[in-house]
Amino acid sequence: MNYPVWEPFMLGGGMVIGIIAILHIFVSHFAVGGGLFLPMTERKAYRESNPALLEYVKSHSKFFVLVVLVFGAVSGVGIWWSIGLVNPEATATLIHVFVWGWAIEWVFFIVEIAAAFIYYYGWDRLDARTHLAVGWIYFGAAWLSLFIINGILTFMLTPGRWLENQSFASAFFNPGMLPSCIVRTAVSVALAGVYALVTATTIREMDLRTEVTRYAAKWLLAGALVIPLAGIWYISILPPMARETSMGAAPPVTIFAALSIFFSLLVVAFTFFGPYQHPRYFNLTFALLLAVLALSTTAVTEWVREAVRKPYIIYNYMYANTLRLGEIKRVEQQGVLKSALWVREHEVDPQALVRTGEDVFRVECASCHTVNGYNSIRFAVKGWSEAMIDYQLLHLNELKGFMPPFVGTEEERKALAAWLASLNPPSGMMLTEPPAPGHHAESNREGATRP
Amino acid sequence: MNPVIPAPVPVPLPAPAWLLQFLLVFTFILHVLPMNFLLGGTVILTLSGFLGCKRSRHRELAVRAARALPPVVAFTITLGVAPLLFLQLVYGQLFYTSSVLMAWFWLAVVFLVLIGYYGVYWFNMQQDELGPRARWVMLGTALVFVLVALIFSRNMSFMLRPEEFYASFLKHKVGLIVGPVGAADIARLLHFIVGSLAVAGLGLAILSRTWSREAPDLAVWARRYGVKWFMGATAVQIFVGLWFLTSLPVGIRHLFLGGDALATAILVAAIALALVAMMTALRNLALGGACLVGTLVLMAVIRHLVRVAYLRPYFDPRALPVEGQWVVFTLFALLLVAGLATVGWMLWKFFLPGSARAASGQAG
Repeated sequence: MNYPVWEPFMLGGGMVIGIIAILHIFVSHFAVGGGLFLPMTERKAYRESNPALLEYVKSHSKFFVLVVLVFGAVSGVGIWWSIGLVNPEATATLIHVFVWGWAIEWVFFIVEIAAAFIYYYGWDRLDARTHLAVGWIYFGAAWLSLFIINGILTFMLTPGRWLENQSFASAFFNPGMLPSCIVRTAVSVALAGVYALVTATTIREMDLRTEVTRYAAKWLLAGALVIPLAGIWYISILPPMARETSMGAAPPVTIFAALSIFFSLLVVAFTFFGPYQHPRYFNLTFALLLAVLALSTTAVTEWVREAVRKPYIIYNYMYANTLRLGEIKRVEQQGVLKSALWVREHEVDPQALVRTGEDVFRVECASCHTVNGYNSIRFAVKGWSEAMIDYQLLHLNELKGFMPPFVGTEEERKALAAWLASLNPPSGMMLTEPPAPGHHAESNREGATRP
Repeated sequence: MNPVIPAPVPVPLPAPAWLLQFLLVFTFILHVLPMNFLLGGTVILTLSGFLGCKRSRHRELAVRAARALPPVVAFTITLGVAPLLFLQLVYGQLFYTSSVLMAWFWLAVVFLVLIGYYGVYWFNMQQDELGPRARWVMLGTALVFVLVALIFSRNMSFMLRPEEFYASFLKHKVGLIVGPVGAADIARLLHFIVGSLAVAGLGLAILSRTWSREAPDLAVWARRYGVKWFMGATAVQIFVGLWFLTSLPVGIRHLFLGGDALATAILVAAIALALVAMMTALRNLALGGACLVGTLVLMAVIRHLVRVAYLRPYFDPRALPVEGQWVVFTLFALLLVAGLATVGWMLWKFFLPGSARAASGQAG
């Protein structure tokens, strides 16, 4: 409402964030887990006096730097860039609440980056003890950065007591923080195994290759063992509606949640019967397939985590279209066009109802819907008459629990309905007709103000 | 027409505006040092690479100096996070609006930086395989970073012109709007690019000292070569800077020409320090470097004063409600000290003479 709306054609803003975020998450968890894997394996090599294993750790650290320091760092910035473009109001709110949290995370980034470079360039410059210490410093800083960002992320779904007291401590130590932190730490360990399985296949010497493959598989399995336990804890603290959404109430979300479990089980099964039991037969193709499967698991899981937060972007505080719950009455009274800054007209023009409706769509719906692409609104209203669309808008949050209510005046709603109806020129048959108009006149006001 | 500016977030600032503005300028200075070295450095090394067809010293310089670039890119990005964070906190409603209006270009920064970053690694790791083609990789990398500078400069200028937001919103498609480009905008970009060449020149001269044992001849030559770049760029800067100053709106320009005693004094001091740096760099590199850093610090302050002056008619962050989160702020300050101490310890261990371990034996 406060900011102009950018519509990245077919993708929609949410998808732009999603694509960048999923790739980043897949790499950034490796940044943490891999950060544990390196010093642990280096120490193992010293203890076992195994120079060949140490050579492997060296080559793995090069791979690590190229993946983590470059792609991990830049894609992390990319998430920040994209959320600022797609949801500036929510981003600004998060920054107001958490700026010192982010500033602390920034300190950990500095330590992390410095340690990673010194670890990588320091193989021949530092004595073994110091080199190992630098590795541990890297891991400590990397895990602490995860600890911080995890608190900010979980705040959006479970803001807890912050809604009452607006304190930093309540916001950060929200109900979801701890279980999610354990899940993410376990995912990091598992992903360290996934990446190590990839680099293990490049080892030429067969005995070492077998040893490292099996060792990497153990990392993956160990992480995977903890994920479901902490995951159940995490699910138990979710707001009831979010839990229900993932367990049957919204079929697409439920399907994705089931896929997340299915993919995870596949990864574990493939790892157990493949590299763990038969490390000699494990090769690069298999390793890459496993990595793709792990990436798919990340993608669907993160998608579900985002989806269950609907209709909010900050639970019980701000809707997905960045309208604060506290603002609804005001916007209801003065109308959405008068409240929004970035529209062409601030009044409904009866002569150009469709054009006005498009403006209403842009400020109120475009944060989730595109016209023709992802979550297409044209497709969503296909076959509906204008009266049917208007009825749906009137009871939006009641009919579709994962959507915010339509907020605005009756004229604005009619204008939006007119524009939506114009997207699919009538083909002669309308599938549905609403109950008699006027029947729910009262519930409009109620529905709009109810969260 | 009254400018359309989004309302600030209805959550109080977590610290007084002056502290946030101080941190904004302070962390910007930390960012601008590696950023200038990176931007100017890739341009200088590209030229050196092409000159190196005939002169092997140029080529050798490009190869050696480029080894320092990966950490420089990493620190440019990381140190850039904090100033952008504080900018969004204090000036968010202006910054987000200009960013959204130019969204496609602004988002492109992420991909360009990724390409430039891998370009730097590619140049370094595939030097032998690439042969003479390596300089094309460096050229591409330099172009990518110049483009990033252009987009950044555009957004930082555009956010200061809220009176242009709504008019351009009505005329063009959101995401493709770059705002009005005037002489001040071009002069600003040029001022930054020429400045980065000066910083990178002196940076190369300082870097070359680390090669004095392995390649003494190259080190001596590279030092002079870097200082020449610094002096040449600074000489050009006198004209570009003057153009930038004169292209600023009258009211803002006037502040630095006697209208405001402090602003004028800072500008005079910055120019004086730059001149001292020019005079001393060839004889005393450390002093020259210190003066240049001093110039950069003052220029960052001037940049902030210009921003405040541009926005004065529209917005004063000091009027925003504040509810200090002092416990977390103290934790941040303590962790910053501890973090920098940790980095210092690691660097000390890394650069400590005699710290090198025998290549073999550490595993045994």
